[in-house]
Amino acid sequence: MRAGRVIFALARADFLERVRRYSFFLTMLFALGLGYGAATGRISISMDGFRGVYTSAWIGSLAALITTCFVTLVGFYIIKSSVDRDRQTGVGQILAATPMSRTSYALGKFLSNFGVLASMVLVLAVCALVMQLFAAEDRHIDSAALVMPFLVVALPAIALTAAVAVLFEMLPVLRGGVGNVIWFFAWILGGLALPELTGKTWLDPVGIGVVSQSMMAAARQVIPGYKNGFALSISTARVQLAEGLRWHGVDWTAQVVGLRIAWFGAAIAIAVLAALLFDRFDPSRALSFSLRRAQAAKQMGAPENGSDFAISGAQDSVALPGSALATVAPTGGRHLHLSALPSATRGGAFGRLFVAELRLALQGLRWWWYAIAAGLLVAEFFAPLEAARGPLLGVAWLWPVLVWSAMGSRESRFATRALLFSCSGILARQLPACFLAGVAVAVLTGAGVGVRLAMTGEISGLAAWFAGALFLPALALALGVVSGSGKAFEAILTALWYIGPMNHTPGADFTGAASGASTLRYAAIYLMISAALLAVAVVFRARQLRNN
Amino acid sequence: MRLNVESVTKNYRGGVHALRGVQLALEPGVLGLLGPNGAGKSTLMRILATITQPTAGRVLWNDVDIAQKPDGLRDVLGYLPQDFGVYPNLNAIEFLEYLAAVKGLEAGAARKRIAELLDLVNLTSAAKRPLGGYSGGMRQRVGIAQALLNDPQLLIVDEPTAGLDPEERLRFRNLLSELSGERIVILSTHIVSDIEAVATSIAILAQGELLAHGAPEALLARLDGRVWEVVVSSEGLPALRREHLVSSTAHRGDGVHARVVAGTAPTPLARPLEPSLEDAYLDALTKQRNGDHAAASRPSLPSSGGSSAAVRGSAA
Repeated sequence: MRAGRVIFALARADFLERVRRYSFFLTMLFALGLGYGAATGRISISMDGFRGVYTSAWIGSLAALITTCFVTLVGFYIIKSSVDRDRQTGVGQILAATPMSRTSYALGKFLSNFGVLASMVLVLAVCALVMQLFAAEDRHIDSAALVMPFLVVALPAIALTAAVAVLFEMLPVLRGGVGNVIWFFAWILGGLALPELTGKTWLDPVGIGVVSQSMMAAARQVIPGYKNGFALSISTARVQLAEGLRWHGVDWTAQVVGLRIAWFGAAIAIAVLAALLFDRFDPSRALSFSLRRAQAAKQMGAPENGSDFAISGAQDSVALPGSALATVAPTGGRHLHLSALPSATRGGAFGRLFVAELRLALQGLRWWWYAIAAGLLVAEFFAPLEAARGPLLGVAWLWPVLVWSAMGSRESRFATRALLFSCSGILARQLPACFLAGVAVAVLTGAGVGVRLAMTGEISGLAAWFAGALFLPALALALGVVSGSGKAFEAILTALWYIGPMNHTPGADFTGAASGASTLRYAAIYLMISAALLAVAVVFRARQLRNN
Repeated sequence: MRLNVESVTKNYRGGVHALRGVQLALEPGVLGLLGPNGAGKSTLMRILATITQPTAGRVLWNDVDIAQKPDGLRDVLGYLPQDFGVYPNLNAIEFLEYLAAVKGLEAGAARKRIAELLDLVNLTSAAKRPLGGYSGGMRQRVGIAQALLNDPQLLIVDEPTAGLDPEERLRFRNLLSELSGERIVILSTHIVSDIEAVATSIAILAQGELLAHGAPEALLARLDGRVWEVVVSSEGLPALRREHLVSSTAHRGDGVHARVVAGTAPTPLARPLEPSLEDAYLDALTKQRNGDHAAASRPSLPSSGGSSAAVRGSAA
């Protein structure tokens, strides 16, 4: 009973903290955008180019599938900050000193995550109702058929996302950007491809199969020559209405419902597993190796005071009152003095700031990061040029994702904004230096392709390479400055990498390899987008400088 | 070198008035900024440090509006915020080198300066350890060092001694005294004794209003003949508190020795005492709470030759 109250209190406080943030409003806008996309036919279920009549069941299932496909993917990035916030704000230290159990904490965070995602589901459910009334293809509102897909398909799917987000936050290696990138692949593999890869239709955490099997069975009877096509797609091309396809929903048998409830149970199990990994905000269990070593040195009594700091006798150990403090000399007789700084030493070169930004960007990277980057670079030089400038360059430019994602957001992440923003030249020097450090990383990691394109005289390819090298840090900087976090860039770059370089989608391929005859045109577009992104970064940073 | 705060008001969303028409004129010296939590001290400091702008009024640095041209001040500004972070994977030298580059210091001079500062804040031996492993006090000392990197003409330090042990606190006070000769130092703290030790001028803020501003001597002079020591029983203390401002108490063998601020002797046996800055501070706050802040600020204008104050100002 007590544990239940603790879980509820944790979830409630965390949920309220989130819904009162501006980002929650943006999250709801995102959900509304999805609903609008469905209402206007831009997001639709296509059965070999056809769709069914917009009955309550069809629309409810469409909106529920939008939830499982988009909200579970993007929602993860939205909710994965709950534990981190407690860590950053210091609330975690307070909680750790209470009798709260680790399981209560993990379940509380899971419920809060679930609540945020469920809010998005609610928005989509309302959109579904409005959409049916708006489309007016079937005026009969079957509330059960409309709501059941949300309850049975969407809620277990978002519960899994909510639990995995907690689990990732409990694991130091997945807590940061690595986890954000891995989630994308885990979602593709585990969320969408698992039934296909294993041949087991029940192994379907997001629940697409529950709806698709039923819809496909209905389509086979109505659409002539139907080849079992089923796609939830975003497209400007309208899907054709199959007049006779009046689908009235999934047959919610006990087996179907039970399986979905089992996925909900799996989500709770994941949250409990996360509790086992919870470090209870003990920094000695959470810090990186180098920091642990430093902590250990401190605990072993490594001196933190300079040897020249010597107060003799009782003055060393007594907490002196203020007036007494003013009268003693704590420096062993040494006079405290700070030399004046000659004015000629000001106005240092931009190059030094650039080097400092580059060093800051690369701080904390381990030897294996450089080893893999070097391996990719060597491969760029020796692989066939087409492979090198396509997938290989794509991977080489995905590798520094965590280096770039800190750009523009590092000051918020580490609370150094007040220190930096009270310096002069932030817009004129520091922001450009930060951007150029990011460009340097892109140029260095992609140098193999750049050099080969230059040597073979492929001007358009080289222009595309150059545009890509500017675009990625510009995107990172703009998103970092605007959002104050690296998550948006990590999510977008990973998705863009998958759609572009990996699937050779012209336009989305920032390496330019898939652009064919339009390479120069796309390079110009990427350059323009980069310029626009930099302008956004400057405008937002200027605003932040005025009102930090 | 002049810093003028002219009728500065800051309102936040939701009708929160952080500052109301604050007016100050500062010249080289240490200004101690005193006030209870939520008084507006940090807001005022953030405005002076150019990282937020006033809703109304303006701040002039050598007659230039810092909202319009902040870089002129930023070049010569050292700022230690109340809350700040560090990059945990950098060591103290790397962190200071980075900030020196941002502040535009030349490489050789920066290296020399950083070594000197690390020595000054007693971190030389820990300089190559990652900042993530530092204690709160050590991080605070890194913050102090970064504020002094560019040899600032205006040094703004918000609760600088928070987390420092008594020895480091004393060291920092001595450093502030050493630095104050040729620059304006603004020191905000709850610790009255810190201000008492180093401030050449004191400003008291409460609920966003400047209650008093002047040399310590001038503030203390207002309480001449108004501070008393009264010995009462433990049972009699609540009644004394209800009737008078009791600034401190100490339990002794003969009863409770209470320090009372009152216009006349609270009891026939009351013994007059020398007023302290804490008495003056509490008196100003009490008057403000009682709606008498105009009276509190009345004698706050020190005459130019009337005190040793190096910071001169006027109450709003």
